Amino acid sequence: MTIEDYLRNNAFHCADKVAVICRGERVTYAELWQRIELKAEQIRARYAPRSVAVLRTSQSVDFLVTYFAMHCADVVAMPLEHDIPEAVFDAIAEQYAAFRAPDGVADILFTTGTTGKSKGVMISHGIIIADSENLIDAMGFSHNLLFIVNGPLNHIGSLSKVYPTFMMGATLCILENLKDLNAFFDAMDYPCDKVATFLVPASIRIVLQLAKSRLAQYAHRLDFIETGAAPMPHSDMLELCRLLPNTRLYNTFASTETGIVATYNFNDGECLPACLGRPMKHSRIFITDEGRVACQGPTLMTGYALDDALTAQVMRAGTVFTADNGRIDEQGRLRLMGRIDDVINIGGFKVAPTEVEDVALACPGVNDCICVSDVSPVLGQRLKLLVVKDGSHDITWRELARFIADRLEGYKVPQAYQAVDHIERTFNGKLNRKFYRNNI
Amino acid sequence: MKEKIKSLLEEALPLVNIDSDFLFAELDSLGVTTILMLLSSEYGIDLDVVDATPKNLKNLDSIVAMVQAKLQAK
Repeated sequence: MTIEDYLRNNAFHCADKVAVICRGERVTYAELWQRIELKAEQIRARYAPRSVAVLRTSQSVDFLVTYFAMHCADVVAMPLEHDIPEAVFDAIAEQYAAFRAPDGVADILFTTGTTGKSKGVMISHGIIIADSENLIDAMGFSHNLLFIVNGPLNHIGSLSKVYPTFMMGATLCILENLKDLNAFFDAMDYPCDKVATFLVPASIRIVLQLAKSRLAQYAHRLDFIETGAAPMPHSDMLELCRLLPNTRLYNTFASTETGIVATYNFNDGECLPACLGRPMKHSRIFITDEGRVACQGPTLMTGYALDDALTAQVMRAGTVFTADNGRIDEQGRLRLMGRIDDVINIGGFKVAPTEVEDVALACPGVNDCICVSDVSPVLGQRLKLLVVKDGSHDITWRELARFIADRLEGYKVPQAYQAVDHIERTFNGKLNRKFYRNNI
Repeated sequence: MKEKIKSLLEEALPLVNIDSDFLFAELDSLGVTTILMLLSSEYGIDLDVVDATPKNLKNLDSIVAMVQAKLQAK
């Protein structure tokens, strides 16, 4: 079965149940399926089977309708960032115009994670079901649940929660983001038995900074919160356990390439930092001789689109070798110990610093630069660009930020800028990232 | 005060047009939090979720008015 089969079944078996709430709109399973079928007809008329349809992600019912309609029409959905510059969007659409995906591929999701450079990860219908079953089994998604999504729907963290919610015939609430925290809490007042949500660590920090007491008021309603995608400060984990003593708090190990593979309820009395728990029911994890985390099971990606060589680097013999270092503890739980590459994790978004540097170097007035991770006074990690100006063009930081934003997604634009005399390099001329990791 | 707040926010949020009359619409969750945390720290006032409204963050003038009201209430 596919996730669309579950949606169709729900349209008959719980037709009047609210499937999605978004911006004041409440859509039942019957209405949702009707809209999907109508849209699928339009898509079939426009796209060839297994071709790729590129779309800009929005936090809306229309986006979900289009996304599932593409699956129904045997068209591969490629949802891109909502703020991706027009030129980049067009270039990607052009790149994939003639591509025909292998049988069974449902999505191509863009990620930087495992290899440190942007690429399209092919996800099959089978992977979607395996991820859903892992989540349902590990976290207890149920029919009477309201699941609140507040992160971008093209990111595996949020998109993967849509599937188990619909499989169980539960209700999904889509928020644009956590900008309006009052809307987040208002959503929890929806009449249902249980509420759950996914929050990246940066979002948890926002809630703890601005709405600690209000969060505690919902302790009795919150069945579980899942986090992941980035390391979470131990102090925030402890604070969350204190505020929500009866809520299951999951720290999950997942990536677009591996799928959803392990999770740990840190509200267990131990609250272990950097612990990602045991593998979920469909998944297996082992540590290579070099200390890398490797994953197996039906949640693994089909491969990278248009890049067999890169696929072979990461995925061999049914195993994805991640860029994470880790160990398995005496109780069989995965414990993470950092990354092996230079990728910077900002609020769950992986950023390859070279991509930012390449764009910044093309900006008039920038002679040299390095993109580093810096501690934000507000929310943990942020991107910082150290710049050697060339004197030919008196560029302001604001102009440089806008130059980068015109060429890259918003989360790749550094928040902080600093002028420096020179950039440290290694003996062979490469950027000395280790120096900056130890000195920023 | 207005110029000081403007300078603080421009430095912290280089992509945001602080002079916009639709400032709240331009902000993401990180932007909203950054503004509230920076102003809390700079002026020694308590700003939390109830202050993070579209009305309070509509534009620079409304932010200044929010800070002034908090200072008067101290």
